[in-house]
Amino acid sequence: MSHTITIEEIVSKTTDLPTIPAAAIKVMRETQNPDSSAATIARILVTDQALSARVLRLANSAYYGLVRKVTDLQDAVVILGMKSVKNLALVASTYPWMQRPITGYCLGPEQMWQHAFGAAVGAQLVARISKKAPEDVAFTAGLLHDIGKVALSVWLENKVGAILLYAGREGLSFDEAERRILGYDHCQVGFHLATEWNLPEEVAHAALWHHDPDKAKEDQFIVDCVHVGDYICSSMGFGLGGDGLLYKFSENSLERLGLKPEDLDQITDEFVIRYEEYESLFQELAA
Amino acid sequence: MAAGQVLVGMAEIKVIKGTGQLTCLGLGSCIGLLAYDAESGVCGMAHIMLPEAFKDKPVDKPGKFADTGVPALLAEIEKAGGNIRRLTWVFTGGAQVFKYGAGTASKLDVGARNGEAVNAHLKKLGARILAQDIGGTSGRTMVANIETGEVRVRTVQGGEKTLCQLKRVRAEAA
Repeated sequence: MSHTITIEEIVSKTTDLPTIPAAAIKVMRETQNPDSSAATIARILVTDQALSARVLRLANSAYYGLVRKVTDLQDAVVILGMKSVKNLALVASTYPWMQRPITGYCLGPEQMWQHAFGAAVGAQLVARISKKAPEDVAFTAGLLHDIGKVALSVWLENKVGAILLYAGREGLSFDEAERRILGYDHCQVGFHLATEWNLPEEVAHAALWHHDPDKAKEDQFIVDCVHVGDYICSSMGFGLGGDGLLYKFSENSLERLGLKPEDLDQITDEFVIRYEEYESLFQELAA
Repeated sequence: MAAGQVLVGMAEIKVIKGTGQLTCLGLGSCIGLLAYDAESGVCGMAHIMLPEAFKDKPVDKPGKFADTGVPALLAEIEKAGGNIRRLTWVFTGGAQVFKYGAGTASKLDVGARNGEAVNAHLKKLGARILAQDIGGTSGRTMVANIETGEVRVRTVQGGEKTLCQLKRVRAEAA
């Protein structure tokens, strides 16, 4: 089947394509630097006043239950830790555009956000239980795993029905059908976007392989954490769009992570409890 | 949310009487389980997440599991004045991913296991199942309108449809 627009064109021609503030990307990279400190992280954040204000608001949300109000960014980094502040900066940067409807995938207001945040919480939990990957990196990679959908959405409008029909007729998963009809899938578009945005490699690899983790050549454990986190979050119905659960699940991911299929019910239970705990953070985001 | 519309969140059990709507939003592998007593007008809904409670962990919310959710729903209906011997049951959800690896689906497939568990518990009760809509790969929303008796199921792919009519049960019973 022919396709009319390339991945490069999708990224270059999509108007209104969101961006992640440069300061948030710098914080993401700085937390991986062994010489980074609360002062260096705070210095990066203050270059973006809007982002700094949102990070402080989240740090003071009921979720963290701090006794006294934090008004200084460096204090926030010291109290919550660099990795938590990095994740807060990412959450604050992505929520404004992730809460919008992604109509190409039939996702209503808040649904893309609910799914992205759910996958982040799921991937982080899987990383913690398996001890195979850094939790904060799993969270970041989970949060951004579906960014390809944001870019592809506008080009996909009115096509989802056809892709679903085709997938049903040919016995394909949704990403396979996307590749056959469009020439690429949302994972490949996400990888391209992540590279364009200069996001860390593990984030780009998780975006690329989250539906086909056995093909990953790098950052295998992060990819596996995101694959399992995405599966748990989708199973529990968090932000399901037109593609629903029309994807494959690889039990090899569980095996590589040292987990057994029978562990998944317990992990799912813990995931839902943890997600609900974050609700006070959401209230602050939406305020 | 409109007046009279009661949202049944994950692991929750809600009961209404005579008027209003019960809604289970965004069911993936979870099951929305509805029980209705036509005579008293008592209607209850549970949003079940998993097939059975964990042996090594206390149950925080009985509505979370099929094995604790069914008896807890019965108790809530009885408390609201419903007669559990007159109940009619409807359930939906239990979606599953498109494909698992060979031989692992039975352990991994929480959607199918949820559906089987609910079915088994209702069978044990000798329950009257009016309608069910389970499986597939789509997320579902179930809305039960007690005034009209209409139970509707919405999926992104298939749109909205009437799954069954609860009032017909009352008319038939009369």
